[in-house]
Amino acid sequence: MLSKKINMVDHQRFTFPFTAITGQEKMKKGLLLNAVNPRLGGILVRGEKGTAKSTTVRALAALLPEIEVAAGCPFSCDPGDFTRLCHLCRGRLSAGRKLEKIRRRVQVIDLPVSATEDRVVGSLDFEYAVKYGRPRFEPGLLARANRGIIYVDEINLLDDHIVDVLLDAAAMGVNVVEREGISYYHPAEFILVGTMNPEEGDLRPQLLDRFGLCVQVEGVTDPAERVEIVRRREAFDTDPLSFIAAWSKEEELFRERVPAARGLLPAVAVSPELLDMIAGLSLEAFVAGHRADIIMAAAARTIAAWNGRTEVIEADVCEAAELVLFHRIREAPPPPPEQPEPPQEEEEEPPEEQEKEDSNQEPSEQPEEMPPPEPQDTEPAEQEQQQEQDRSTLPPAAPQDVVFAVGQPFPVKRISHNRDRLLRKGSGRRSRTKTASKAGRYVRSTMQRKYNDPAFDATMRAAAPHQAHRQRDGVAIAIEPCDIREKVREKRIGNFLLFVVDASGSMGAQQRMVETKGAILSLLLDAYQKRDRIGMVAFKGNTAEILLPPTSSVEMAHKLLEELPTGGRTPLSAGLIKAYEVAKTHLYKDPNISPLLILVSDGKGNVSMGDDKPLVESRRAAEIIRDEERIKTLVVDVEKEGFLNFGLARELAVVLGAEYYKIGELKADTLVQAVKGLSDY
Amino acid sequence: MGGFKKVYPFPAIVGQEEMKRGLLLNAINPKLSGVLIRGEKGTAKSTAVRALAALLPEIEVVADCVYGCDPDDITSMCVQCRQRLISGEELPRTRRKMRVVDLPVSATEDRVVGTLDIEKAIKKGEKHFEPGVLAQANRGILYVDEVNLLDDHIVDVLLDSAAMGVNTVEREGVSFTHPANFILTGTMNPEEGELRPQLLDRFGLCVNITGITDPALRVEVVKRRNAYEEDAETFVRQWEAEEEKLRRQIVAAKALLPAVQASDEILFLIAGVAVEMGVDGHRADLVMMKAAKTTAALRGRQEVSEDDVRGSADLALIHRMRRKPFQDLEMDREKLHGVIRGTGHGRSRGQTRTHGNVHRL
Repeated sequence: MLSKKINMVDHQRFTFPFTAITGQEKMKKGLLLNAVNPRLGGILVRGEKGTAKSTTVRALAALLPEIEVAAGCPFSCDPGDFTRLCHLCRGRLSAGRKLEKIRRRVQVIDLPVSATEDRVVGSLDFEYAVKYGRPRFEPGLLARANRGIIYVDEINLLDDHIVDVLLDAAAMGVNVVEREGISYYHPAEFILVGTMNPEEGDLRPQLLDRFGLCVQVEGVTDPAERVEIVRRREAFDTDPLSFIAAWSKEEELFRERVPAARGLLPAVAVSPELLDMIAGLSLEAFVAGHRADIIMAAAARTIAAWNGRTEVIEADVCEAAELVLFHRIREAPPPPPEQPEPPQEEEEEPPEEQEKEDSNQEPSEQPEEMPPPEPQDTEPAEQEQQQEQDRSTLPPAAPQDVVFAVGQPFPVKRISHNRDRLLRKGSGRRSRTKTASKAGRYVRSTMQRKYNDPAFDATMRAAAPHQAHRQRDGVAIAIEPCDIREKVREKRIGNFLLFVVDASGSMGAQQRMVETKGAILSLLLDAYQKRDRIGMVAFKGNTAEILLPPTSSVEMAHKLLEELPTGGRTPLSAGLIKAYEVAKTHLYKDPNISPLLILVSDGKGNVSMGDDKPLVESRRAAEIIRDEERIKTLVVDVEKEGFLNFGLARELAVVLGAEYYKIGELKADTLVQAVKGLSDY
Repeated sequence: MGGFKKVYPFPAIVGQEEMKRGLLLNAINPKLSGVLIRGEKGTAKSTAVRALAALLPEIEVVADCVYGCDPDDITSMCVQCRQRLISGEELPRTRRKMRVVDLPVSATEDRVVGTLDIEKAIKKGEKHFEPGVLAQANRGILYVDEVNLLDDHIVDVLLDSAAMGVNTVEREGVSFTHPANFILTGTMNPEEGELRPQLLDRFGLCVNITGITDPALRVEVVKRRNAYEEDAETFVRQWEAEEEKLRRQIVAAKALLPAVQASDEILFLIAGVAVEMGVDGHRADLVMMKAAKTTAALRGRQEVSEDDVRGSADLALIHRMRRKPFQDLEMDREKLHGVIRGTGHGRSRGQTRTHGNVHRL
């Protein structure tokens, strides 16, 4: 009985049936369209966890149509298309032999995030090399994926190097291999399907643009539907075979529909009016280039074919637009909070509104004793409440101290050091780096020998072709020193961000602290995604104190930030010196990670530690910091534009040799590109 | 666990009922996919996980399969076993305990996912796959102490295979796929940083534990620990009866589990709770239901009651509720019980479960 059931489900994995997936219509449609029309350029599925992203993609495999392939060809060449044959097939043809045809289903190839380069592009077949003493190409994932689908789960976690390889092949439709004594190229036309959770960081713009379609999925909120989801999943978990059997009829219907639509597709026409509409939609969305138009037209045609029509109607275009434009819109109305912003590269939006608003206020120079304005009229209502609570639970730091709410966070541009050739250790995601510790991800191999970290696979492949003329004492492979290859590991190291926050009374004026906290929160959110370590120094009254010693607990930093009271005078120099000490200590402990000191202040120091004037002293402190080259600095000026601008923070930034930003600039998402040589991918 | 010293017995752990409940439920129903135990230092987190190993039931495995495939479940078998079965071979069976496999924080990626078998490559010039930790952990518990300190790229690998219960290896010249259905169990101290949300979601259940505040119980903790340190053998023997009782309970619950039914009312209750409490995605619903069924089985019933839902919802929800950035993992129990009461058939709160400390989750 068991074997009967097995025959019913012939695919290799026993996956949850596509048709049994409740809701998520857009995602399902997007996937099906790709199954019908391979020229749509793949699909990216973004969404919160637990929304059947992976399940749906894997289920799609069972619905894919059959294609004709040349028998025995590792690249699944199409025997009917002479322009795209690999040279094996071509050689076979020119030798006067015929290409044997077989039919098989389009394949979904899994690309795990732990993949190494050799398996992706293919490399030397070492078993063959040992046996026959000749190099032979062993096809990799790209070869298997020709005319199929490459599926990357958690695609935003894929190593950048592998991403480059994928992009290269995807752009040309050909995989060129030049490695380990092998020179080879073969067709590699594949549909890229990726799923990701945006909480874990976003995709590089180049990769994002490769995806023809993109959908955002969310959980279903209708209780009845939720119940149905649970019921079906539970039924599947209890007895997968029966469940699959129960859905086989539905699956069959869909399976037939795909090739039918495929057959209809060439006949589907788009009227000139609708083409105009497509162009108009693209223009409205401010997309870059013309890819969007082309894909939108193709998607609209595919939708029509799926619905059994040969004429595209307006509704098809609208449906297509949603799938095509989602990740390409460049200037949209402020997105709802659920919807992560698409990358906005070329935009420059001067922080006008902000400054206009402020310019008619008084100049910001105010006596320090002046009570800060009531924060009650600050923006988010819920945060106010929280702040109220905070105030009541906190021990009062000084009589006039006030705790301000945290301003709205905003997305922050990448802060990053350049990828460097130095060796570092650490764990985090901000900067990519070569690492000497044996802990990073093994991406490829090198002939350079330095760290006693041999890459055995590469070493074997290097040794294999020479086995014919080597002395082998009872082993199959004799390895000589010249064969040994080492692993190149790559690892993202987090930075150490040290926030030096001015908590003096002047910061309480005009909601500055609210904005400041908002800015820091934004940097913290960014720090979380990059796995940075963070620390916080605050100065007010007469002293500076370390609020948070270096830690990776971003939550802790956030809590402290919320509770940070404001009041008193501005001991700027003390703050700088304290920050310097913290950074120095951290450098002793971890010389590989250069600290990034982020000073948030208006630069108006009015308390000194010694006998000098406060400003002179803070300048001296700044010089000390500048002289330690490993410490990078960034000044966020919170002084408001007014009649009277002191520009003290800017002066300080010059002395520090720091990057300088006005807080408004940060908010306008221009950038927080910190240290010199910022990388930008 | 062939350690030198006998493991501290599970029932001898004082208090920490929630943690124990989370672990027991997983021992009964592996489909709950694990538990994350968050808590300060010295709250018996690791002790409890190790102690659980002694309680784990036996499972039926294919005797000569590295992955310990289930001879009766073709859907979860490795390719080799499946082929043997299809070709008509009778798979050799044996029984062994479910394993607890440690994943040290310092583990390298190749050891986790598996890699090229170097010995075979050198001796025979052949390419073979050498299974890693994920292979060992198939159908067992994968335990990560200090899981929040795990290297980022190892976490990526875990996410990848935990999602589908399959480990796909495409590295170092090997291309291989094998089942990797493991119960992910982790302990962590939140002071040292949080987990990535995606990884957090992979843990079926989650408990927050704190030190015990009742002086009498604290004394008891010290007493038992002392007794154990002084003479582990005797101590373990003293608790043997209790352990055996628990073991039998687990086996009985495991046997009962497939028969446990959840009515539509219960399913709607669960969906309602998930919506009301504001969770991401649908995994919470599934886990809540599985946890409720398992709780019912543990209590020896075939029908899930509202009380079973109440007794397990918190474990499934705490780490899945939508939070503001950096908000603590906290659970509003009042709200949860309110929701359950509101959706269900109004019971008074006095009847809600009483065990467990009254600490903030």
